[in-house]
Amino acid sequence: MNKEHNKAKKFGMVIDLDKCTGCGSCMVACMAENNVPFKADETNKLDSITWMRVYKLTNGKSFPDADFCYLPRPCMHCEGEHGHSPCVSVCPATATDYSHETGIVSQIYTRCFGCRYCMAACPYHARYFNWWDPVWPEGMEKSLNPNVSVRMRGIVEKCSFCYHRYQLAKEKAYYEDRREIEEQEYQTACTQACPAGAITFGDLNNPEHAVHELKKNPNAFRLLERLGTNPKVYYISSREWVRLAGDNYLRQEGKSEKN
Amino acid sequence: MDSALIPEGVKRCSPAKFLIFLGVVGAVLLWGVFAMLLCWIKGLNQTNMNDYYGFALWIWADLAVIALGGGAFFTGFLRYIIGKDELKNIINYAVLIGFICYSSALLILAIDIGQPLRGWFIFWHANVHSMLTEVAFCLSCYFGVLTIEYLPLILENRQLDRVPFFHNLSHNMHEIMAVFAATGAFLSFFHQGSLGGVSGVLFGRPFGYREGVFIWPWTFFLFTWSAAACGPCFTILITKITEKVTQKKLVKDNVIELLAKISGWMLATYIIAKILDTWYWASVTAPSKGFWLLDFYSNNPFYGPWILVLEVIICGVLPALILITESGRKSKTALLLAVILAVIGVSLNRWVMVLQVMAVPVMPFDSWYMYFPSWQEIATTVLPVAYGVILIGLSHRYLPIFPQEKELNPID
Amino acid sequence: MKVSRRTFLSIGSFIVGGAAGTALSPLPWKLTDDLSIWTQNWPWTPKPERGDVSYVNSVCTLCPGGCGLSVRKVNDRAVKIEGMKGHPVNDGGICILGLSGLQLLYGPTRVKTPLKRVGERGQGKFKKISWDEALAEAAEKLGALRAEGKSHTVACISGSAGGTVPQLLKRLLTAYGSPNFMSVPTMQDAYAVTLKQMHGIDACPGFDVENADFVLSFGSGIIEGWGSPVRMFKANSAWQDKKIKVVQIESNKSNTAAKAAKWIPARPGSEGVLALGIAHVMLRDGLYKKEACDGAAGFEDFKKWVADNYAPENIAAATGIQKETVESLAKEFAAAASPIALCGRGQGRTPGSQYEFMAVHALNMLAGNINKAGGVQIIPEPKYIAWTEPELDEIAQKGTASPRIDGAGSETYPHAKSLLNRLPQAILTAEGASPVQALLISEANPCYTLSDTQAVKKAFAKIPFVVSFSSYMDESAQNADIILPNHACLERLEDVPTFAGLSKPVIGLSKPVIKPQFDTKHTGDAVIALAKALGDKIAAAFPWESYEACLKETLGDKWEILNEKCFVAAEENIEAPLQFFTQECKTVSAEGDEKQYPFVLMPYDSIRLANGFIGNTPFLTKTVPDTVLKKNEMLVAVNPKSACGDSLSLKEGRSVMLTTPKGSAKVRVHLSEEIMPGVIAVPRGLGHTAYDKYLAGKGVNCNELIGPAEDAGSGLDAVWGIRAKLSNVSI
Ligand SMILES: Nc1nc2c(c(=O)[nH]1)N[C@H]1C(S)=C(S)[C@@H](COP(=O)(O)OP(=O)(O)OC[C@H]3O[C@@H](n4cnc5c(=O)[nH]c(N)nc54)[C@H](O)[C@@H]3O)O[C@H]1N2
Ligand SMILES: Nc1nc2c(c(=O)[nH]1)N[C@H]1C(S)=C(S)[C@@H](COP(=O)(O)OP(=O)(O)OC[C@H]3O[C@@H](n4cnc5c(=O)[nH]c(N)nc54)[C@H](O)[C@@H]3O)O[C@H]1N2
Ligand code: SF4
Ligand code: SF4
Ligand code: SF4
Ligand code: SF4
Ligand code: SF4
Repeated sequence: MNKEHNKAKKFGMVIDLDKCTGCGSCMVACMAENNVPFKADETNKLDSITWMRVYKLTNGKSFPDADFCYLPRPCMHCEGEHGHSPCVSVCPATATDYSHETGIVSQIYTRCFGCRYCMAACPYHARYFNWWDPVWPEGMEKSLNPNVSVRMRGIVEKCSFCYHRYQLAKEKAYYEDRREIEEQEYQTACTQACPAGAITFGDLNNPEHAVHELKKNPNAFRLLERLGTNPKVYYISSREWVRLAGDNYLRQEGKSEKN
Repeated sequence: MDSALIPEGVKRCSPAKFLIFLGVVGAVLLWGVFAMLLCWIKGLNQTNMNDYYGFALWIWADLAVIALGGGAFFTGFLRYIIGKDELKNIINYAVLIGFICYSSALLILAIDIGQPLRGWFIFWHANVHSMLTEVAFCLSCYFGVLTIEYLPLILENRQLDRVPFFHNLSHNMHEIMAVFAATGAFLSFFHQGSLGGVSGVLFGRPFGYREGVFIWPWTFFLFTWSAAACGPCFTILITKITEKVTQKKLVKDNVIELLAKISGWMLATYIIAKILDTWYWASVTAPSKGFWLLDFYSNNPFYGPWILVLEVIICGVLPALILITESGRKSKTALLLAVILAVIGVSLNRWVMVLQVMAVPVMPFDSWYMYFPSWQEIATTVLPVAYGVILIGLSHRYLPIFPQEKELNPID
Repeated sequence: MKVSRRTFLSIGSFIVGGAAGTALSPLPWKLTDDLSIWTQNWPWTPKPERGDVSYVNSVCTLCPGGCGLSVRKVNDRAVKIEGMKGHPVNDGGICILGLSGLQLLYGPTRVKTPLKRVGERGQGKFKKISWDEALAEAAEKLGALRAEGKSHTVACISGSAGGTVPQLLKRLLTAYGSPNFMSVPTMQDAYAVTLKQMHGIDACPGFDVENADFVLSFGSGIIEGWGSPVRMFKANSAWQDKKIKVVQIESNKSNTAAKAAKWIPARPGSEGVLALGIAHVMLRDGLYKKEACDGAAGFEDFKKWVADNYAPENIAAATGIQKETVESLAKEFAAAASPIALCGRGQGRTPGSQYEFMAVHALNMLAGNINKAGGVQIIPEPKYIAWTEPELDEIAQKGTASPRIDGAGSETYPHAKSLLNRLPQAILTAEGASPVQALLISEANPCYTLSDTQAVKKAFAKIPFVVSFSSYMDESAQNADIILPNHACLERLEDVPTFAGLSKPVIGLSKPVIKPQFDTKHTGDAVIALAKALGDKIAAAFPWESYEACLKETLGDKWEILNEKCFVAAEENIEAPLQFFTQECKTVSAEGDEKQYPFVLMPYDSIRLANGFIGNTPFLTKTVPDTVLKKNEMLVAVNPKSACGDSLSLKEGRSVMLTTPKGSAKVRVHLSEEIMPGVIAVPRGLGHTAYDKYLAGKGVNCNELIGPAEDAGSGLDAVWGIRAKLSNVSI
């Protein structure tokens, strides 16, 4: 038991797609927490910064058999093989890194020089480039969170698993002379906000954290597992078509190979 | 007016005509410079790139231009290492074209990155796992080598050559050029390969991803190979164009044919390797990730299977066949057709390995998106072309680029 | 010019030497470093100031949901809104609008000082005036009308009827001499009329959804923002955990339908008929709770009426639902231990058809779930506001005795408390001067939210004096003569009573989190100041020196607990005898000729589009999918199999003209299999003309395309759609 505690942490999420309503609270909670900028026109989703993006999946059938499901997509904090996540290994300037202590893939804004190789490497489109200078209308910059630095034009950003919250929790624990932080002390902004309680966040390695059990749900899956990205975000859906939509299959694989 | 600078024993057009030429191309250059400044001052929102097309026209232009500049290293390799002596008659031009290609690539990279002023972080905070780091180091080093290879040519200018120091410097540099050519060839083998590795290592992008040996995916070797095959074709093509524009023969046919023959065999072997690679990728690599070949080519208005046929068959097999047959090389039209196809082929390969990699949706619920460059992107891509044309114009006018020119065009 | 060798060489060596010298000095390296550091600290990239962190609890007033908030502050800045843990409504959860509330607070749409119109109405030209001037001018206008004996021509539109601020406004009107206090009607009003008719009492409905074990929803947008949105999201998750079956009856596959265990796409407008079809099976097969119903008033007549008219085979044509589906639905509903049937379409922002509400409520009565766990709770309106009646002078007595302009409470509409939907027509059809000579608007945006906005604006144009209390420059404020801006949410102290379908109403206290950012005034204080300026008995009716004093006195011993958390209104459920009905109401059909307009247009609600008096924040609009809004153009969803004639082919993204009997607009087509063929689904919440560049000019306001449909029973707006056609855009 004690040994388990000393193991490196591996923070991750389990998102229950049966509960997710597509309400978008997670997206906005993230934007508000992380000082994500906005423009007058955000309808071109190819240049709209959304660290958390809620996708809508459809089963491709006709009315009235059509069905759909929402899928929130933060950064997967891919572990790859031994921390060689797709994006980290390609960054020429070591501006993004895989932490073996937390399993969190960081992004150092002041280091990044905007080559966008990491974006090309990420199959989840979790990375966003600052095509514009971030501009807040006069007065609104008062709502900016000082725990997260505002990013300048010309660099890449992405979901950090609200790393600053981990730092704050650790600092607090340190002042209180504790070595470990509690599960509830470090929760991401999206997890906290989700009105449906669809997101569970915690240390996948810690048996006392809810995610540890949840990820073993027989209906749990990860996105694009076949690529070997080894993501730390799990999804749960009771619908088979949804689980199958999480990866690519050849026709002859008969689609039911999973589960 | 500028006759003192023009090499002895050759004829050049009038200064007025030359100035008009410079003016026209210079205008295009200025248009490009304007677009470049827009990108630097206002940022990359001036382009039509987006979060799906993070790599687009510019990275393609970079890869293509470096592949085409491959004539320099490969001709150098043949001339200095293998000892194909005839090639001394085209090596200067190959070096010049290489110099233009590589300086263009560096310029485009400096425009392409979101924080040009931090570009040097790639060296300072280098990540050894990244193909781009490898590219950046080799590219910069090789650009240095090309500069060193180009320098003696400049020093051979009639006026500079009169200065004893420059004369001796240039002479001595020629003596040791083999060392630089060897270094250049080595660096080139590497960075051409690392460019191939750029998309080859993307294991999250099944279209680009290739298996390989150690850290090098097959595309690493294919890129070097194709650059060696098609770079000289580009040198030949530019030589032919220069001859057409200056309306005189500059390089003897036997030189061209020798280069064409070697290119032909390189291209032939390359295309076999490419077909094998495609076959292995389509039947083993991609299926293991849940894709079958046509998933990469259907359901979109542009990236159809035609692109594969065009690249491999029409711009690969066909020019290879022309160039390895003697009659093909001897026929002016066939030769020209072959080098043009080879140049298109390698450019198309680079296009596919940049743009299509970005376009193919990987998440099953994602979509294909199309991209068309903005005028700023086009202008900045044309900018190095204009710069190259000007540099060729100046070099041809003032430097003894073509050793056989005097002999082929005697002034009575 | 001939370049001599000497010049050439000297220039050359100067350049080369200079370059080499510079390169070898520390200068370029230092410059390179400095330049990169500069890019990391661009002066135009904001740097949020650090400081002391604190949390302040409050209550959200951006929708009727009543969620508890916990707002993070850094020094005197509010930097993040979060849900309050342990709050009875939302327990830490929060919706997308509440989360982005700081963008409203600090946003460019705030009205920063009192304003007086200088340009034409609606032109949006105002000049700043002082509070003294503004209040004096309003008091003078109102005083003059009163002196002319026209006190009854003053009307007030308030976003809600509950709470001290709406009640102060109502009190002002009463003491002044007008009966015309109106609140913005919602499904709550339709439910109130339903309870009045089917139980004979004045009450609010509460839905014990947490304890229900079978949920039959007639188009209620359970996760689209119906009721108290966060509470419903939580209920939905609890149902998922407990595997409780939800059946959604709705022509389009809404998010709610997608989450439901079963989706039954009934023809739009036939939901009430389907409910009675289910009642038919329950009655026929004896599946209803006999102990609850037998002997109830009107039960035998109801039974016969339903038996005669609503056999499943007979309603199949109207509803498009097979007999077998109705049979099995009825059996499942009746077999559940605590089933509940819900209605109120989408978010329930328009009241809806009385017939439908009564038919659905009849199912609850048949299931015997009234005042039972998991069923419908009949709750009295919270009575914590117990002010003494104001003393009326002669003018006020006369004024308040005159008939209401909207007809509410008249013989024709005895049960309705307020019929705002009838106001525009009342003004437009009146002969001579407008029956409304002055209008006060608080927490409402009728120029955007009322059906047939064009008519509303025309009616507004006839009102000589309009006062808005809006914190934001919305469409109605833009059409006002004087704006007396209220403090925004999070700046003001206010009681927030929440019914919104909660089984136990909750009273919350919206506490100021930060000091008012601008020269604004609490509407409560503005009302008190107006009353004082009007003098005499009106002033006497407002003995409080400030709104805060009034609130403290009103809440009495509850003030303490409210300041700490919030309180649950402890009133017991009201006993509710059942009264069945026969043919009380008629179905409401969509306006327009079927031949001319082959489609049915149905507005749909989304939690990502605020469609009430609060407009979308930039963050909210950012989350709107590109299948709904693309640049400034709105997409309407249409099934690709819809028949729309030979001249038009439906293609994704194609521009078309959408025309209804009320108007037309250019929109784009989004092909969707989630829509019933023949239906056009139009998003609600777009098409603002006011607010800022983050919202104005995006899409079309669907209220411009649909007209009000007066419900024969209640007089409330029962519109759920309108007939429409699509045609090519003329070039
Ligand atoms: N105006 C001004 N500018 C300054 C300075 C100054 O004094 N004034 N100081 C300069 C100095 S000395 C420094 S060091 C820099 C610091 O500048 P930044 O590097 O921008 O540092 P911070 O603002 O502390 O924020 C770092 C961001 O990274 C996130 N973060 C931190 N660690 C991790 C991680 O491991 N993973 C992930 N995913 N995210 C992480 C944090 O949440 C935070 O948002 O600023 C420089 N700029
Ligand atoms: N709360 C909080 N605390 C932090 C951090 C944070 O993010 N949050 N960041 C931490 C980090 S990363 C850092 S680096 C430190 C920075 O903390 P400090 O090292 O205290 O940096 P400054 O506050 O910039 O102070 C540097 C001082 O040097 C002076 N100075 C400037 N130029 C010169 C010079 O040429 N010669 C001399 N002698 N003096 C000069 C300046 O006037 C200033 O007084 O703060 C750390 N502390
Ligand atoms: S907040 Fe929760 S329910 Fe809403 S979209 Fe995000 S994950 Fe889904
Ligand atoms: S999701 Fe993308 S950005 Fe995140 S770790 Fe994986 S590859 Fe990197
Ligand atoms: S864009 Fe930034 S983080 Fe991404 S690879 Fe380039 S330098 Fe690294
Ligand atoms: S974990 Fe934090 S940074 Fe990541 S999506 Fe959620 S709120 Fe955003
Ligand atoms: S549901 Fe309503 S009350 Fe609750 S946070 Fe959202 S807007 Fe505010």
